[in-house]
Amino acid sequence: MAAPEVVLRVKDALSRLKDADLKDPRLGEVLTLASQMSDAMMAFFGSMDNSLYGELRYLSAYIQRTRAEISALRPNDIKNDGIPTAGAELDAIVANTAEATHRIMEAAESVMSADTSDAHAYQAFVCDKMLEIFEACSFQDITGQRVKKVVDTLRHIENRIDRFAKVMGVEDAEVQLSPEEQRKKDLLLNGPALNGPENKQDDIDAMFGGEDAGAAMSQDDLDALFD
Amino acid sequence: MAVDMNAPVLVVDDYQTMIRIIRNLLKQLGFENVDEASDGREALEKLKKQKYGLVISDWNMEPMTGYELLREVRADEALKPTPFIMVTAESKTENVIAAKKAGVNNYIVKPFNAQTLKAKIASVLGDF
Repeated sequence: MAAPEVVLRVKDALSRLKDADLKDPRLGEVLTLASQMSDAMMAFFGSMDNSLYGELRYLSAYIQRTRAEISALRPNDIKNDGIPTAGAELDAIVANTAEATHRIMEAAESVMSADTSDAHAYQAFVCDKMLEIFEACSFQDITGQRVKKVVDTLRHIENRIDRFAKVMGVEDAEVQLSPEEQRKKDLLLNGPALNGPENKQDDIDAMFGGEDAGAAMSQDDLDALFD
Repeated sequence: MAVDMNAPVLVVDDYQTMIRIIRNLLKQLGFENVDEASDGREALEKLKKQKYGLVISDWNMEPMTGYELLREVRADEALKPTPFIMVTAESKTENVIAAKKAGVNNYIVKPFNAQTLKAKIASVLGDF
């Protein structure tokens, strides 16, 4: 029912009451009860207004704080500049290393297949090729600088996200593995380990029961490693 | 039994540089007949068309990994006896165990040297 309609109905009821016999004791009791109920309802709605107002103020402040924190993250800067630049640097590293490897291997292959019949000419040829290898190795300086730029960008993003998560009290949600992640998990695609291989060649030889490793591992030994 | 140095060797890796390195090392060891594939699927097609004396495969490749290739080879009666060496940067114990369970003959962790490659080939094919 709309508010104006309610007002009209209340007015109508009041005028009928005025016209009625106010000396009727039952009517007096009803009016007293109605008055008490009205007071109680006013108090209730008054408190509700205050709590609602408080909640809305809290929400407004929270949204403003979130906006400020997201702004501090500078997401557009990360998206438009940081990540694309880092990606381009990594592409350049791949290209630089591939080119250098190609030059080095080409030089090495030409030395290995060179004509050795003329010792003097062969020596000169080998010296030239060794110089080419030295020159090609200069890629390491350039790629080192590129890697540093990428690492700096990643560290910058990491710091911003870390601060945001702390301020907002964000906790990691449980996520389902994507099909690609599931495939990597199933096929044990772990990639190269940091700081060298997790198992050195000697450790692996031991698992294959190499001569230096003593007795071969039994299936039970292998199974035990899974437990 | 003497090692057949003319038997074709299939090198499977998605990095041309690594194929080139292994090719050169094999050449130095006396294996001239070397073929290549860039992932497990291409390798499997080649293996079904021609008999190879040895497969040297990387693990981490797309769309078919070296581990999947190994399982396919060992599940195929005709291909089952093919000697298979894994050459990979995957060095976790779970990887080595999975490869051994799947029937790999030997396992080389990258980076490796010529001496290691020779030793592992000799342990699989016999001294040469």
